[in-house]
Amino acid sequence: MKRPLAITVAGLLSLALVASACGTTSKSGTGTTKPGGISPAGAGSQWTTNHPFKVAWIYVGAKSDAGWTHQHDLGRQAVASAFGGRVQTYYKENVPEGPQVTTTIDQLVNQGVNMIYATSFGFQPYVVAGAKKYPNVIFEQATGTDLGKNLAEYGAAGEDADYLAGMAAGYATQNGRIGFVAPYAIPEVIREIDSYTMGARETHPGATVQVVWTNSWFNPAAERQAAQSLVSTGVDVLGDGVDDPAVGQVAAAAGIKWTGYDSDQNQYAPNAYLTNAIYDWAPYYVRDVRAAMEGTWRSHFYYGNIADGSITLAPFGKSVSQTARTAILAKEAQFKNGTFNPFTGPVIKQDGSVGIPAGKTIPVWDAHNQNALSRYTLSWFVKGVIGSAKG
Amino acid sequence: MIPFTIRFEPRERLSRWINIWVPVAAIVLALVIAGAVLAVSGHNPFTTYQQIIQAAFTQPGAFTQTLVSTTPLLFTGLAAAVAFRMRIWNIGAEGQLYLGSIAAAGVGLYLQSLPAPIVVLAMMVSGAIAGSLWAAIPGTLRAYFNTNEILTSLFLNYVADYLMYYLIFDSTSFWRDLTSPAARVFPQGKTLAASGNWPALTIFTIAVPLGLIVAVGVSGLLWGMIRGTRYGFEMRVMGDAPRAASHAGMNIRRKIISIMFVSGAVAGLGGASQVGDFRHVLDPRGLEQAQFGYTGIVVAALARYNPISAILAALGIGVLTNAGLALQGPNFPIGLTGTMEGILLFCVLGSEIFARYHVRVHRTRKPLAAHRAGQVRPAAPAAAPVEMALTGGGEQAS
Repeated sequence: MKRPLAITVAGLLSLALVASACGTTSKSGTGTTKPGGISPAGAGSQWTTNHPFKVAWIYVGAKSDAGWTHQHDLGRQAVASAFGGRVQTYYKENVPEGPQVTTTIDQLVNQGVNMIYATSFGFQPYVVAGAKKYPNVIFEQATGTDLGKNLAEYGAAGEDADYLAGMAAGYATQNGRIGFVAPYAIPEVIREIDSYTMGARETHPGATVQVVWTNSWFNPAAERQAAQSLVSTGVDVLGDGVDDPAVGQVAAAAGIKWTGYDSDQNQYAPNAYLTNAIYDWAPYYVRDVRAAMEGTWRSHFYYGNIADGSITLAPFGKSVSQTARTAILAKEAQFKNGTFNPFTGPVIKQDGSVGIPAGKTIPVWDAHNQNALSRYTLSWFVKGVIGSAKG
Repeated sequence: MIPFTIRFEPRERLSRWINIWVPVAAIVLALVIAGAVLAVSGHNPFTTYQQIIQAAFTQPGAFTQTLVSTTPLLFTGLAAAVAFRMRIWNIGAEGQLYLGSIAAAGVGLYLQSLPAPIVVLAMMVSGAIAGSLWAAIPGTLRAYFNTNEILTSLFLNYVADYLMYYLIFDSTSFWRDLTSPAARVFPQGKTLAASGNWPALTIFTIAVPLGLIVAVGVSGLLWGMIRGTRYGFEMRVMGDAPRAASHAGMNIRRKIISIMFVSGAVAGLGGASQVGDFRHVLDPRGLEQAQFGYTGIVVAALARYNPISAILAALGIGVLTNAGLALQGPNFPIGLTGTMEGILLFCVLGSEIFARYHVRVHRTRKPLAAHRAGQVRPAAPAAAPVEMALTGGGEQAS
């Protein structure tokens, strides 16, 4: 009978301690819970180590995903180191799309956060509502479409580097048959597959890219299965547009080549690895946070590219030939100096009809005519893709 | 060589006192263990617990958000509890909730020009019906073909998930938004008109979702049904003594199907609440990520299948969910929030054994072989503890 008593005593003690801790420190806590007093369009403020500018990121996945979220977190770390103690960064990972985004936004604002980056499209309705609720906090939505006085959008042209990765795939393929594991049949992914295919066909005329959809950004099991099904149809290069390197492992096991996505994924399958598009959010985040700190931030629709460093091409894998490297780097230089755009016509659709007429370039996004053909509304595959753009 | 045996002897009567004392002690023990883990990993346990209380209760808007997290868990917790109480293992609340969402979103969109009270009521009714029909599939299979409802209800979750994805991603269905700019960038459902937005009851600064009020009402109804009706009595008998029930001539088949119906209806209502209270759209990705159906099983276990206790259990998980969101960050890895939640659940669920059994330590002069090996031997026949565990919180619930 001694033990239960001891447990009770210990329990009461710890309860009392918890209660007293809450009682004493909650006062000092309330001092920091007032929303940050910055105005998005206001004058510059002085931010110091004692009074840091607070920036938060909301991630849909884990920051260890070796892909999309990982790249955003590298950008966060770059912000943290660029401004020393004058900026304090926060992040929330594995936040499900839904009302808990509102919970997270409320909690962050209560912590005094001045600026919030939401890195999944599914957060958008809750971010739009949050921007209305907290007019003094800056909100930015990745890959989104809605703008407001304190709400900006940002994205980057992964498809530019996908063209280069496609060129590498074109050089690597022997039989001209490439497989591609794709997440969702949405314009963002469709334009990446289109660009990839055009790149592959530049270096390997007549090559085909066969697409399998997984309906998920992150589902290694489904991706492995999809990749395996492509391998069994006889493709000798695999590409993917998902958030993790599972496809590379299938390629390595099958002894074929692979282009990844999001981050430098060489380490996951070095023998199979060719290259891939990398989202480097660090330059944008550092610029953007600096503008917010200095009071020069304005709402914007940012679409980064190879030229401004938001998109880069990963270092080549060991099996990429010297010829391929030279050609791909030459093309990269053309992207950088603005003399090449994969979405300048003529671009021929999958069915042989003209998608973009010769000499015409489609815009990233036509805010005035949102249904017009743009990169953000592109919903068809180019010639050479095998599969349906409807998912 | 251990010179004593530990015996677990079933308690003849479960007193009220032990029912309160054991969970409270378990929570305190969990706080102490989790506190040690926090301290070892370099975090001050007291400031951490303080942050939990702030994030769940005291910060502006925090309790409102806790109720937002609680609402779906109460629905799925009740759905699991009412079925498990009768030893019908409905693991399908996840899919039944999806179906409820699909039906409620469809009805809400279709009737959007009608007055709000009618739309809200129609969404509730349709959500409940859709969930119950979906649950009736494994129920019927179990009743007539004796299939394992754990498997059939579980697998139907995937079917419901694919159905939801099909409606929004792979078809031009009635549910799908085909016109807005955002929907061109990423497929999404049509947003309900204001008539389909369920109102919230604001008490001081706390917004109580209509869904939560309904869920609490359902808790009361289920409690009354289990405790006060002939149906509930038969259900209890079947849960605790299936043989006696069949000897007494109860229609077991009809009971199984009807209990699945009730369970599915409650989960379906939860799906309707997701659409009406919070999302205002059929949101396959969000619902799939949330996993309300599976978490509901934890809620039911914590509540020992008692519908009234489920309110507290759902609130507890809601608190943990929001506190977990608040704690994690650069200095607090997400794995640590998961560890703390795990410690708490382990202690509370594990403490059941102390509520159900006397633990007696006997000195032994001539230890048996089993004791020599240091094994803990339950005194009751091997089958008995299993039976006790499976019948769950039957005694308390009734």
